[in-house]
Amino acid sequence: MSLVPSGEMTLGPFFPREFAQGANDLSAGAKGEVIEVTGRITQLDGKPLDNLVVEIWQADSQGRLDAADFFGWGRAATDANGVYRFRTIKPGAIEGRAPHINFLLLYSGLMRHLQTVMFFEAAKDPVLDAVPANRREALIAKREGAVYRFDIRLRGDGETPFFDD
Amino acid sequence: MPHFSLAKRDPATQSEGVVPGYAQTSQRWPSQPLVKRPQTKSELTGPANLARRLGAVRGDLAGHGEKRALGQLIHIRARVVDEDGAPVPGAVVEAWHCNASGRYKHPNDTDHAPLDPNFYGAARLVAGDSGLVELRTIKPGAYPVPDAAGWWRPPHVHFSVWGRVWLSRLVTQMFFPGEPLNEADVILNAIRDPQARNRCIATLMPTTKGPQNALVYDYQIVVRGRGASPKL
Repeated sequence: MSLVPSGEMTLGPFFPREFAQGANDLSAGAKGEVIEVTGRITQLDGKPLDNLVVEIWQADSQGRLDAADFFGWGRAATDANGVYRFRTIKPGAIEGRAPHINFLLLYSGLMRHLQTVMFFEAAKDPVLDAVPANRREALIAKREGAVYRFDIRLRGDGETPFFDD
Repeated sequence: MPHFSLAKRDPATQSEGVVPGYAQTSQRWPSQPLVKRPQTKSELTGPANLARRLGAVRGDLAGHGEKRALGQLIHIRARVVDEDGAPVPGAVVEAWHCNASGRYKHPNDTDHAPLDPNFYGAARLVAGDSGLVELRTIKPGAYPVPDAAGWWRPPHVHFSVWGRVWLSRLVTQMFFPGEPLNEADVILNAIRDPQARNRCIATLMPTTKGPQNALVYDYQIVVRGRGASPKL
């Protein structure tokens, strides 16, 4: 049998708040360096976006995916200033990949979800290398102590690269 | 077991980009082309037991007796399958919709349609071995889109679904058959292929007198991917 995937559609403006809450701390009980990953999400006119849903997927500190003692998935929503916030563990390198966190964005005005990736430094990586060289900088978080800042611009100057899968 | 694989999206059956009549898309969809990337273990895995973190919340939004919500009683039977038609056991499905008068119980919904004290429009369901999730609820109403002249959303139910891997994530909306507003809805009609569009509309099953006596709607949710879950 061969079925066509269902048509993806926008999240709309009324995603239940309870679903976006309580899932942005991945660090509880996990081994490794605890970090905060945060950033501001803006649209073409520079306006910060409120209640945009951000989901992440990452490896544990040893580079293992879906490890028994680390649940590498999380979800947060932006506040009125467009800011999302995760508390997590700095991921290790998965074989063949530089350390990174996968991001998925859901919002009204996005006909379907957008995917991007946050890197910790400009390292050799097949996904980062797929991005035109002059746009790679936008995928590298800015470090301030234990805080990694990863701002996302959906459209316009300094636009974040998004991936087609 | 066949190797897990995931085909690229077909632009005829998937919508994207800036859509005429939906103003926010021109502020939010990227102006640069999406970047093609290799698929690695990182994108082809996902939380194997998401229900451990996101468990079932409310399977009945219609209520009973004096707590019964206003509106037509409906019973949605949605089956989560992959592109092989194989069920996705344990799939987590979030569902949300407005009440019978077209109002969401959400602080961002400023419409003047009344709230229903007996209706809370959000549920989380976990599929069994056959991929089936069931939701007893009431049929949502239609409502006008603010600041969009003449655009009314037809009755619809939002679904957020996790497939086998990170790239199988699906957020969609289920529509009802025979609704005149379906013909002009900007979101439904952004899917160009008419057959793909029809698959977003549920099927009303023959009515029978049963213990529930609700209108039963069948619906199929197809998440991306074929073959077994990849080994880590």
